Amino acid sequence: MEYQSVDDVQERLTAAGYIPSREIATVVFLAEATQKPILVEGPAGVGKTELAKAVSRSLNRELIRLQCYEGLDEAKALYEWEYAKQLLYTQMVKGRINDIIADADTLTVAVDRIAAQEDAFFSDRFIQPRPLLQAISSEEPVVLLLDEVDKSDPEFEAFLLELLSDFQVSIPELGTRKAVRIPFVLLTSNNYRDMSDALKRRCVHLYIDYPERDLEIRIVRLKVPGVEEALVRSLVEAIRRIRALDLKKNPSISESIDWAQSLLALQARSLSPGVLSDTLNVVCKYQSDIEKVRKNLDRVLA
Amino acid sequence: MVDLVLKFVSSCRASGMRISTSEVLDCLRHLERIDCAREDEFRAALRTNFAKSVRELAHFDRLYRLFFHEFRLDAADVEAAGRFADQIGDLARRLAPEAAPEAEYRAVVDFLAGDPQGLLRALHRIRTESDASPQTVKFNLAPLEGRLKLLMQILRVGDVAQALVKSEMTDLDAADRRALAGHVGERLDRARALLMFEPLPDADGIRKNVDAGERLKQLGEKPFSSFTPREMEEMREAIGGLVRKLKNITSRRFAVRNRGALDVKKTLRAAARYNGVPLDLKYRRKALRKGRIVTLCDVSGSVWSAARFMLNLLYSLQDCFDRVHSFVFVDRLTEVTEIFDTHEVNEAIGRVLGKADVGFNATTDYGEMFRHFKRGYMEILTKKTTLIIIGDARSNYLSPEDAILGEMRDRCRRVIWLNPEPEAIWGTADSEIYTYAPWCHEVRPCRNLNQLIRFIEELVL
Repeated sequence: MEYQSVDDVQERLTAAGYIPSREIATVVFLAEATQKPILVEGPAGVGKTELAKAVSRSLNRELIRLQCYEGLDEAKALYEWEYAKQLLYTQMVKGRINDIIADADTLTVAVDRIAAQEDAFFSDRFIQPRPLLQAISSEEPVVLLLDEVDKSDPEFEAFLLELLSDFQVSIPELGTRKAVRIPFVLLTSNNYRDMSDALKRRCVHLYIDYPERDLEIRIVRLKVPGVEEALVRSLVEAIRRIRALDLKKNPSISESIDWAQSLLALQARSLSPGVLSDTLNVVCKYQSDIEKVRKNLDRVLA
Repeated sequence: MVDLVLKFVSSCRASGMRISTSEVLDCLRHLERIDCAREDEFRAALRTNFAKSVRELAHFDRLYRLFFHEFRLDAADVEAAGRFADQIGDLARRLAPEAAPEAEYRAVVDFLAGDPQGLLRALHRIRTESDASPQTVKFNLAPLEGRLKLLMQILRVGDVAQALVKSEMTDLDAADRRALAGHVGERLDRARALLMFEPLPDADGIRKNVDAGERLKQLGEKPFSSFTPREMEEMREAIGGLVRKLKNITSRRFAVRNRGALDVKKTLRAAARYNGVPLDLKYRRKALRKGRIVTLCDVSGSVWSAARFMLNLLYSLQDCFDRVHSFVFVDRLTEVTEIFDTHEVNEAIGRVLGKADVGFNATTDYGEMFRHFKRGYMEILTKKTTLIIIGDARSNYLSPEDAILGEMRDRCRRVIWLNPEPEAIWGTADSEIYTYAPWCHEVRPCRNLNQLIRFIEELVL
């Protein structure tokens, strides 16, 4: 089910509900072909996470998602021992332990015998896999999405390096686990802080910007099929002019889609100043931005 | 193909991009898999491997355009360059005899012959190399001088080349000679354009400040610079209240912090109560990560009024941070961390003003301040550090040295610039805020208490 060519990527992503630019398709194709992770950057709402979802749909693979945040550590990302279960089992098998050491003459022999059994307690049975371990040990190839990796701590980033270059992780008690099937990894970043050079070297980079006009029109029409083409056209034009206004938060593709949906719900035929003014809070997320757009209504609808 | 990519990579490196060998290898492997005749794919493959952050993209695009379009090194569609390849090579040999005169001259001739490396390297040096020796009279001249030198060489090469075409290339007919001269002129124009064009990294990634809510209505919206002494007192009280509140919030956060791994000792001890059955599991507590802060405060004139409140707040909340280093500057840095360590906050602020080695009479010079920081304090920046710079970025038309800020950014976690001027006059006259902005993660106005509080809250929480 791998991608055959750049064109193939473009077709299959489109079929999965994501219209990629040629650059996105090329990068996705290359990353998949050479098994490199993709570091996706770009303004909020341009479809970074959506790309990962579309890739998983088009490759027909499961999507495993790890949302990164400050303070995320290995126990949350990789694995955790199930202490309660371990302790409970220890209590329950106490009798058996007595049997094992019943005929041991000295303490040393008894300890040796117990040591021979310790694998029983540090085994897969008591491990609770978190997203990264799941992705590594899955029998079927998966798509692994590390969302907003820039929010995580530098320590976690360093920990990711082993995973991203060799597709293996180390669990002290069990040894190194190599990936059964190499997952397709996507990392997204909102540029909260710079990622380290070491991490960047291991990934290919993809910057998704606001799309070209025609592409955006196609995207909106794909996502909101009921809206008339002329309306979509004027909506995208208006969005592009709003982006030129230097707002605190520029409307993204997700806002375009939301807007088209609300216009559909309002059964608006055209983008009149009244309609625009009523629906502005779908497009802009800050009061000051809304006021700014209101002031420049004539420019937006020119 | 390999050769072409390698040439491009060395041009990129010459102009300051960091591209590792493994990235080149990856790129070559990628190029095998795509249709290199399609330019969008070829470009995407190069871009995805060589420009690894938003900030490098603009730089990459510029070099790419220069190298593959304006230069048309090996491409077939090169009309002039292809037809006159031999002549240009010949011209270059005549222009630069074996004992090459100055490096700049060489670079320009190489550029003419189709190898931009030397020129790019020279340009990169001019942009990033800082003036090492602080003179008694300050100039902004080092970069200008370097630029002028290159410009002179371009003109010189142009003159000599045109003369050579006229006198030596007699085997060409008049029309071809004109075309060749035109081609040489065009290339040199391009070299000049490169010299004049100042590349700045893309500033799109920086966060914009979001206005504070309506709190402390009257006092909160009043600019720091227009406080009366009475209001100053009120302000201190308001800050005191705020500090208490913030400390409460953070201590609550410590209480509910994430649990860590199992603490075997404690669990066993607790189990003793239940006849050895571990009913009650104890977890090791994780220490909460605390930020390290380095502040650089402009203490000249109006900026100080904002900086003092900022320092007041930061030090009142010192236990929320791992360590706070602070510096004040007018034209040179003075470390004042110690004053704040040994004295109560308000007294310390008074002492800073009285400190002798702060040159209050000098003119503000951000460039010199950055050079000074680079010489003496670079190692206090680590990946845990948040660097806060408070200042209006008005450096009296002296060299801004923004490349050093770039180096500082590379070393720390975040760079935040607080500007006490109203946003409307940023970038006017000698304000260099937009020169510095691309190197910061965040630039925000900090004119009144509400904006300051908002900032501190985001920093602590």
